[in-house]
Amino acid sequence: MSVELLKPELARIVRIKPMVEDHHLFQVRFEDAETVESFRHRPGQFVEMSVIGSGEMPISISSSPTRRGILEFCVRRVGRVTNALYRLPQNSLLGLRGPYGNGFPIEEMKGNNLLIVAGGLGMVPLRSLLWYALDNRRDFKEITLMYGCRSPAEMLFRYELETLTVRDDMSCLLTVDDKAGQEWDGNVGVATDLFAGVEFDAANTYAAICGPPIFYKYVIQKLLERGFSKGRILMSLERKMKCGIGKCGHCGIGGAKKLVCIDGPIFTYWDVVDMREVI
Amino acid sequence: MAKPRIGIYGLTGCAGDQLAILNCEDELLDIVNAVDLRSFSMASSSNPEGEIDVAFVEGAVCQQRDLDELKEIRSRSKLLIAIGTCAVWGGVAAARNDIDREKLKEKVYGPSGSFLESLPVKPLGEHVKVDLAISGCPIEKEELINSVASLLRGDLPLLVSFPVCTSCKMHEYECLLVKRGQLCLGPITRAGCEARCPGLNRVCRGCRGPVDEPNAASEVALLKERGFDRRDIINALATFAAPAEKLAEQIVGKEPACQSAQDASQAEKE
Amino acid sequence: MRIIKLKKEHLRDFVGSLSAFGKLYAPQARGEKSFVLKELKDLSNLRLDYRRTILPPKKFFNRPDETILNFSSDNGYQAAADANGGRRVLFGLHACDIKGLEILDWVMRDGYRDEKYFQRRERTAVIGVSCEPDESCFCLAMQADNVETGYDLFLSDVNSCYLVTVRTSLGDDMVNANQELFQEVGKDTIEAFKKKTHAHARKLDDMCDLSVSQMPELIELEYMSDIWKDYAKRCLSCGSCTMVCPTCTCYDIRDEVELDQQRGTRKKRWDSCFFPDYAAVAGGENFRAEAYSRFRYRYLHKQDGFVAKYGRSSCVGCGRCIEICPAKIDLRDVIKSIEGVT
Repeated sequence: MSVELLKPELARIVRIKPMVEDHHLFQVRFEDAETVESFRHRPGQFVEMSVIGSGEMPISISSSPTRRGILEFCVRRVGRVTNALYRLPQNSLLGLRGPYGNGFPIEEMKGNNLLIVAGGLGMVPLRSLLWYALDNRRDFKEITLMYGCRSPAEMLFRYELETLTVRDDMSCLLTVDDKAGQEWDGNVGVATDLFAGVEFDAANTYAAICGPPIFYKYVIQKLLERGFSKGRILMSLERKMKCGIGKCGHCGIGGAKKLVCIDGPIFTYWDVVDMREVI
Repeated sequence: MAKPRIGIYGLTGCAGDQLAILNCEDELLDIVNAVDLRSFSMASSSNPEGEIDVAFVEGAVCQQRDLDELKEIRSRSKLLIAIGTCAVWGGVAAARNDIDREKLKEKVYGPSGSFLESLPVKPLGEHVKVDLAISGCPIEKEELINSVASLLRGDLPLLVSFPVCTSCKMHEYECLLVKRGQLCLGPITRAGCEARCPGLNRVCRGCRGPVDEPNAASEVALLKERGFDRRDIINALATFAAPAEKLAEQIVGKEPACQSAQDASQAEKE
Repeated sequence: MRIIKLKKEHLRDFVGSLSAFGKLYAPQARGEKSFVLKELKDLSNLRLDYRRTILPPKKFFNRPDETILNFSSDNGYQAAADANGGRRVLFGLHACDIKGLEILDWVMRDGYRDEKYFQRRERTAVIGVSCEPDESCFCLAMQADNVETGYDLFLSDVNSCYLVTVRTSLGDDMVNANQELFQEVGKDTIEAFKKKTHAHARKLDDMCDLSVSQMPELIELEYMSDIWKDYAKRCLSCGSCTMVCPTCTCYDIRDEVELDQQRGTRKKRWDSCFFPDYAAVAGGENFRAEAYSRFRYRYLHKQDGFVAKYGRSSCVGCGRCIEICPAKIDLRDVIKSIEGVT
C-alpha cells in the first residue's frame, strides 16, 4: 500500500451539466468499484481534484452523502486548473482524493430546525447539506432555505430549487438582487431581506451559511439579532487548501490556530469570532 | 487536434534565447514534432509567415524597426510570449535610458549612425500585450520545455516567482551577501535558475529580473549599510531590469549612476 | 540510563564505525564560513566545532524539492519511489535541532500521519553532540537547550573526553559494536562534567534575556501595531528565514507534464508564508495581500497559533533566521519590540 498521502485515485466524469455561465456541474464516479463503495463523505466536506497534467484544486462536494455512487461538483471556471477541467469532455479521467475537512456536525444538528442561508456560489457546499436533510427529513424539524443571487441568470441549481418551493415540508425562499431584465417571478432584494417574514425558534435551530465575505457580515448580524447563539451559526470558509491534510500550511487562519482544511471548512461563528484573519 | 502554429522571433538582443532553444538538444525533435514551426530565423532559412497561435519573442524594443516588427507579430498571434530578460524587462540595453538617444547615437556611431531610429529601450510589455513572460539571461531550458508542454495542453505555465535566496537556501549554498559581504541581488531577484551563480561562488546580478513585489529600497539600504558605494548598487540594479517599476524608483532621479553618465553629461556641457 | 566515556582520541574511530548502521551524515564546512550536514566520506572533514548548519536536519525528512507522484493520462497517479528511505546516521546534531525534529514529528503526526516522513525518521539514527553557543543562539528562552529524547546517543564534551548518553537500543548497539573504545565514567570526569554543564548553562543565561511566556497575549494585543509595518519595510520577503527554520513545514505542490502530454510528475517544494501568492486563491482573493500581514503571520504562527495548538512555541532558538537575514532582522528584537522592552 502506498504511503503517499497525496496520491489521488482515478475517477471518471460521467456527465457535465452546464448550469449558469462558467458554472458546470460535474458528475463523477471513481473507477475502482471498491472505492465507489467505500467512499463516505459528510455534507460540507471537499475533495482535492486533479486534472491530469494540469494540477490539483480543492472542490466542495455538492452532492449529498445520501445519493451514493456519483459525486457532484459544481465548479466555477476561474483559474488555471478549472479552465483545464472545462476543456475535458464527458467520460474523461480525473484524479480525486479525499474527502477532507470536518463537514457539518450533523449528529449535533439532528432534532433541530435547520436554516440554510446561501449567497451566490455559497450554495455549492450547502446543497449537500440541504439534500442530506431532505433525504433524512424526519431527523430535522423545520427546514428553511434562503438563497440570494445577483440575478436570475446567476442562480445555481435554479430549477432544482424551484421544485422545492412547492414542497410543504420545507420553506424555500429564493431572491435576486436585480431581475436584470430576466424572467423572474420571485423575490427581489438581498438574502437578508428574506428574514423579514420568517419566525425562528433560535434556541432550537442551526444556521448554516456560506457566501462571499460581505455576505457573512450581514447574515451573521441578522442571525445575532434574531437571537442565534454564536455556537449555532455554522459557516463554511474558503482558503487556499493545497494539501487538504493539514501539512502544507496555506489555509491557516489566526496564526494557524486553525487550518481550514482539517479544522474546517465548517466553523461555528464562536470558533472564529475572535480569531484574526477570518472574514 | 491541429498542431499549434509557432513562431520564434528576435528583436534587438544577443539571440541567446533562440540559441537556448536550439540547445534543447535532447528535446528539440519532440518540440518540433509537437508544433507547426512557422518561423525560426536562427534555425531555418524558410520561414512562411501568416497567422500563428503562439509567438515567442526575444530581445528588447530598441529601435523603430523593432517596434514595427513587434506590432506586426502581435497582430497575427493569438498568444505572445516574451522570452528572455531583454523582452521581459528591457535587459542590458535598457540600463542607460537616461542618456538622450541622439547623443548616444552620435557618441557610439558618429555621423554614420544618423539613419538609425533609436528609441529608449523598453520591454515588449510596454508596447503590446504580453500573455506570458519567461525571463532569464538566457532562458532556462527546463522552464522553456515545461512551458511549451503546458502551452500544448492549453494551460498557462507555472513559472517560479520566488526569490533566488529561497533557491540558494534549498541548495544549501553559502550566503555570499551575509557570509562574505558581497553585493548580491538574490533577495529581490526572481529564481528559476536554481541559484546557479551563488552555487559557483558568484553573486546574483539580477539577470532574471525582480520578483513580483521586490523590496528594492531595503535591498539598497542593506547594501549601503554594508559599505557598498551607492553608485555600484544602482549600477547592479540597473544592469538587467532598469525599467522595472520598483527598481526604477531606486535608479532614477538620484546621483549619476556611473562614470559614463558623467561623461555623457560632460559631453552635454561641451 | 547508561552513560559511558569516550576519549576524544577515539572519536574518529567511533564515528567511522557508524557507517555500519547506515549512510553517515555529519557537519562539514561549506564555503568560507558555513557548515552543512552532508555525507561524511572523509573523517578528517568532520567539524564538531560548527555553530549551525545552513539547513536544519528537516531536509532529510521533508526534502526541499521532490517528486512525489508519477502520472500518466490513462493510469493515473502512482507514488514515486522514495530515494530517501534508506538507513542513515545523522551524527553531530545539537540539542536545538533535535528539539526541532521532535516538533516536526508533532506536526507530521497530527491529523493525517505522514507515513513517508515517519519511515524516513524511523530509518534514521540521531547522535547528538553538545554545543558552544554564539551570539545568535537563544535556545534557553525557547526551552530547547537540553533534550531528554529524540536521539540514540548524545555526546557531551567534557574537555578531553565525551560523556556518551545511551538513549535507545540502537544506540546501545552502536556502543557495543565498539566496546573497546569506551570506558566507565570516573569520579574526575563526573566533576568535570558538572562544572562544564554549569558553565554552559550560565553562558546561555548571560547571553539570553528573552522571555516569550506572554507572547500569545501580546501578539494578540499588538495585532494592529505599527511594529509589523516597520519591520516589513525592511523585510525583503526573500524566504530565507523560513527555508532555514528547523520547524517551518510549508510546501507547494505543482505538476510538470512531459512534452508528449501523456506523462508527468507531481512535485512538492518548500514554500514560504512571506511570498505574495501564499494565501491567494483562484479568482483573485488574497487573504494576506500586504507584506506586513505576511511578516506578522510568521510570528502569529510560531509564537501564538502553535502555542495554542501544541503548548509551546515552534521556535527552538537555533539562531539560523537571525544569522541569515540579509536585512539583519533579529527575531529577538521583534519579540522585544512587541513586549515593549527595547
